[in-house]
Amino acid sequence: MPEVFIDGKRFEYEGEQRLLQFIQDQGMEVPFFCYHPSLSAPANCRQCLVKVGQPVKDRETGEYELDENGERVIRWFPKLQTSCNTMISDGMVVHTQETDDLVKRAQKDTLEFILINHPLDCPICDQAGECPLQIQTYKYGPEGSRFEVKKVHKPKRIQLGPRVILDAERCINCTRCVRFTDEVSKTHQLTITSRGDKNYPITAPDREFDDAYSLNTVDICPVGALTSADFRFKARVWEMNQTPSIDITNAKGTNIDIWTRDNLVLRITPRYNEAVNDHWMPDEGREAYRLFNENRVSRPHQKIDNEQVKSSWNNAFATVAEQLEGVDKKDVLLIGSSHASVEENYILSKLSSLLGYNEPVFTSHTEKGKGDGFLLTDDLAPNANGCRLLGFNEVDNSKLSGLAEKAKVVLLLNDNLVDREVLSEDQLNNTFVVSFSTNHSQTSKTADLVIPITCIAEHAASYVNIDGRIQRSFPAKETKYTNRRLDFEMNEGRLDRYGTNFDNWVTEENKVDCLPFWIVASKLADQLGVDGFDYGNGREIMEEISSTLAPFEGVSYARMDEESGIVLDQEKTTVKS
Amino acid sequence: MKYEFTEDDLQEIEKIKAKYPEVKAATLPALWVAQNRFGHVNSDVQKLVAETLELPEAHVHGVATFYTQYYKEEKGKFVLDVCTCLSCQLCGGYDVLERAEEKLGIKAGETTDDGMFTLNEVECLGACGYAPMLQITNDKYVNNLTPEKIESLIEDLKAGKTPEYEQIEMPLRKVK
Repeated sequence: MPEVFIDGKRFEYEGEQRLLQFIQDQGMEVPFFCYHPSLSAPANCRQCLVKVGQPVKDRETGEYELDENGERVIRWFPKLQTSCNTMISDGMVVHTQETDDLVKRAQKDTLEFILINHPLDCPICDQAGECPLQIQTYKYGPEGSRFEVKKVHKPKRIQLGPRVILDAERCINCTRCVRFTDEVSKTHQLTITSRGDKNYPITAPDREFDDAYSLNTVDICPVGALTSADFRFKARVWEMNQTPSIDITNAKGTNIDIWTRDNLVLRITPRYNEAVNDHWMPDEGREAYRLFNENRVSRPHQKIDNEQVKSSWNNAFATVAEQLEGVDKKDVLLIGSSHASVEENYILSKLSSLLGYNEPVFTSHTEKGKGDGFLLTDDLAPNANGCRLLGFNEVDNSKLSGLAEKAKVVLLLNDNLVDREVLSEDQLNNTFVVSFSTNHSQTSKTADLVIPITCIAEHAASYVNIDGRIQRSFPAKETKYTNRRLDFEMNEGRLDRYGTNFDNWVTEENKVDCLPFWIVASKLADQLGVDGFDYGNGREIMEEISSTLAPFEGVSYARMDEESGIVLDQEKTTVKS
Repeated sequence: MKYEFTEDDLQEIEKIKAKYPEVKAATLPALWVAQNRFGHVNSDVQKLVAETLELPEAHVHGVATFYTQYYKEEKGKFVLDVCTCLSCQLCGGYDVLERAEEKLGIKAGETTDDGMFTLNEVECLGACGYAPMLQITNDKYVNNLTPEKIESLIEDLKAGKTPEYEQIEMPLRKVK
């Protein structure tokens, strides 16, 4: 196997590899700005310089030439090389800044050049705390600048597009954003304009940077030049708390991180998953953070005299039981939801079979032309495949509205059927509708009883994406009934850890008064006199699902975490008993 | 104003495209075709070039803004780039520039009202041996300038007389 020597250590490698990536993969470090593993490597920041040499071979025998000590004779490249676009070759000897003073000096001097015109406004910069330039300047940079001339001034606060703002002075012209639009989103909307010390990235004149993936450029910007118009100045990175989750705005199942502070979701960023979304996510998915904060149903709401008023949990359960007891079993319609998780839908279906109701039905939520063959899909719900694999009857919109009109009681799991015009308010006039909802909507307004349930940001649950890949979320924000310090799946940010209820950075109102659907269902079952129906968390439900339903065989939270999602065998079907 | 290529221009661009394996390489010569036609490549012209070559507008914009020789705004018919870099400066480049400013009634970087002349102060054009000098509209060099010479040059240009290409022999070392 071919070998390479890095800082005196021998490594074996396979195939074509970029030196910088290989060094990183071994857990070592070389500073860099312009390189990105999913983009081409133009080597324009010059920060990843290393010393590289090849052993000298005898041309005739093909043997390595040895010096008097029996060591291989190394022929060093005449100049330092940028490791990002140097391909490894057999026998290559590399010295990084750890073992070579020239490399160390070169990196330091490059940084000094990069910083000549950088404003160093870290105290007011959004990128501070997650800024490669800041981090690497601390680690590898010079202590001060020797440039006493005035810095070059460039345009600031340019609204590049609806979602991205440019501060050209902070830009170090790494061209990551330009390469992103050229190579990944392929809209070619950005370019570097002007030349020399006045250059910066911009769109063509009179054009907007309205790329559907534009905010990825904010993520990959190694400085604070590109910032999100929405998230700008909202929070410092170190105040927030990062929790892995799944995008719920379409069926791709893009892996995301949810950033919270004081139990409010402040932003969503993509999380690397080679099999699903690589490093990217569509801008639409990032907007979803509002769903987790705003307009949430908190406490059950009951319609009295055509007006929804806040009610109590006990009353809510009693009301459902009362309504269900009076009607014929076949007049009860349970509607599952492609917007809810596998666990929630499973619980709904289990409840219905225990109580002897018809299997839940569901309707998919698609919009033709929404998909783009990349990370946007026509299917606008995160879990339609999950419902299918659970064996739910998929009905079309007209069939569903017919069923709902006939039913006397409808139990509706989080799906805004009225908002998306599957059902109309009139159709539900004579039906008692119980809506298990995360957010207020036209649908929840129509319902006679609204029971608030946790959203994806508040519970651990799994979703099956369009390719049959099951992935799961983690709880990111607390509800009235959960506590970060007790729930080991929840991360604690600095403010979460050191804040108290008496601080002004802990706001009790940010915790929604809602329960996970499985707990709601367990309490309902208890009220209805069903024994042994008691579920505390998604993990145990998934254990039950995987041991009973064929498509989910072998699925567990541990495996999903380990393998960043599991592709389910969609050939297998759930056999209904 | 709407910019459009003539049939001849389009044919020329087709010929240029045929020379290269990729269209992208035709950006520079196509911009020249445009600048020769319209006298400048402002943002509308850049768009036209991008459309004609079927390249992203941003790419053409980036290329056009990289080179100072492409004029991103309308300039005078004659653009006088007066060098004031070291050699020219020492040999009286600023005297030449000032006389030109006086004569044209504009400052460096400006265009005369009649649209005839744009005067620029530029850095080294690589003709230090015949300093001070200037370049006319990305083209001919006028060498060994004096304040008097620039006045007559401007008069000539106004009269429609452009200077000839000038070949200057460099004094060579005599080999014994």
